[in-house]
Amino acid sequence: MNKMEAKYDFERKYREQVLQCSRCGFCQAVCPVFGSTLRPALNARGKMLLLKEVMDGKIQLDDELIESLFQCTTCASCFENCPSGVNVPDIIKQVRKDMVSIGTCHPAFKGMNEVLKRHTNIYAEDDAEDFGREKNRKAEIVYFVGCVGLYREEESTEATLDLLDRLNVDYTLIDEVCCSGVLEDVGFEINEELARKNIELVFATGAKTLITGCPYCSRTFNNKPQYAELREKGVNVLHISQFLKDFDMGVKTDKKVTYHDPCDLGRHCGIYEEPREIIRKIAPNFVEMAHHHADSLCCGAGGGVRGAYAKNSLAMARRRLQEAEEIDAEVVLTECNSCIHNLSNAKLRRQKFEVYNITRFINELMENK
Amino acid sequence: MQIQNYNMPDELYYEENHFWIRDDGDFLVMGMDDFAQVMAGEIVYVQLPDEGKRLNTGKKFAKIESGKWLGKAFAPVNGELVGVNEELEENPGLINDDCYGKGWMYKIKPDDKGELDNLIKGQEAVEKWLLADIEKYAEE
Repeated sequence: MNKMEAKYDFERKYREQVLQCSRCGFCQAVCPVFGSTLRPALNARGKMLLLKEVMDGKIQLDDELIESLFQCTTCASCFENCPSGVNVPDIIKQVRKDMVSIGTCHPAFKGMNEVLKRHTNIYAEDDAEDFGREKNRKAEIVYFVGCVGLYREEESTEATLDLLDRLNVDYTLIDEVCCSGVLEDVGFEINEELARKNIELVFATGAKTLITGCPYCSRTFNNKPQYAELREKGVNVLHISQFLKDFDMGVKTDKKVTYHDPCDLGRHCGIYEEPREIIRKIAPNFVEMAHHHADSLCCGAGGGVRGAYAKNSLAMARRRLQEAEEIDAEVVLTECNSCIHNLSNAKLRRQKFEVYNITRFINELMENK
Repeated sequence: MQIQNYNMPDELYYEENHFWIRDDGDFLVMGMDDFAQVMAGEIVYVQLPDEGKRLNTGKKFAKIESGKWLGKAFAPVNGELVGVNEELEENPGLINDDCYGKGWMYKIKPDDKGELDNLIKGQEAVEKWLLADIEKYAEE
């Protein structure tokens, strides 16, 4: 008997992995979406079961499945803990592309793709701050802010730039546009026009180092073929925590400080120690939360979930902040503007700790020295 | 009064960015008007600054978010923030459900209540201002 031809790319690429899911439920214990909704249909196992049913022709890949398949932060906590090695984030990204190809998509993501055809950023706000700095000048380094840092966490970005100034770093900002990497997560492709513009702007500065404050932009520049030219022409892409780890900041705090691992920096890039090296030098009273490094809890912002399922996204961030409360932290540091945004929005008034990017915290310590 | 599909109570003052202000004697109560909450869609976050914050007329003092929209609350008068609606911390959707009631946002102690005269009030003024904004946002 002829084997039935696969209908979708996810099946062609990942059939064995979907079938490999042994339904053990280890993912349920670590899935941030399940943690905030307590709905098994939304965790990785639930998603794999749904996809098996699709492959078996028992259910259709249609709008009914949007809530489960588009509600995943792609944090990779499930993959990290899966004894069968099922790469759920990659499967989910492919399924979303299959869904978009048949006209099924969460409206927020369809909207985001449309916005990036007409605007320079995911928020459709074309009036970017220049932070009082001259852009597009010749410099050793380009600092790429990212959409969240430009349009939602401007104070944090300004502090990061102030810190780079204090450290006498020769950097320039550019008239950046969205790296558009996020489109790959939500069913679409990187916008080639935007990628080309960023590449040309970086080359025009003569810089050989590109630093990003956003771990996702950093991943996109380092891994996506649309940005391969940067790497091929010798531009070294670093996240700011990698760049700053060897600096002597010359400041210290007695405060009890903890660190939240952004998924895009930690599980996706393996960058765990560089931020901690920076923090340990300035904060001897550094304490880990219950979940950290590869076991860190997701803040809930990734994979487009903050835009499409904001309430659940904030509930995930509150679970994370609960852990900061449990260790009586006075300062929660991270180094991702999406995490900062979601955690700051989720922080309750009774929670008296501060949530900062490491760079902003150091800049404030220097300012008050 | 009802202006097109929007409910704009007569007794309120309005700030040009679509916040309403109610005179409650010694204090002013502030919230988002019906037009703004409809335009914004489901509100997911309201910044609730600490009481005691100094407010300066026309200056931004808080952020509000709905999905991909980020709004800013501007001080309608000079004064001090003396209260916030803590219910909004976990249930910001109250602004969509009941923007003039349970969805109130801030309580302000004004330096000089006379500043209220600089805000928009009365059927004719409110209608002129709102209709212009309806047209403006329809074009966008």
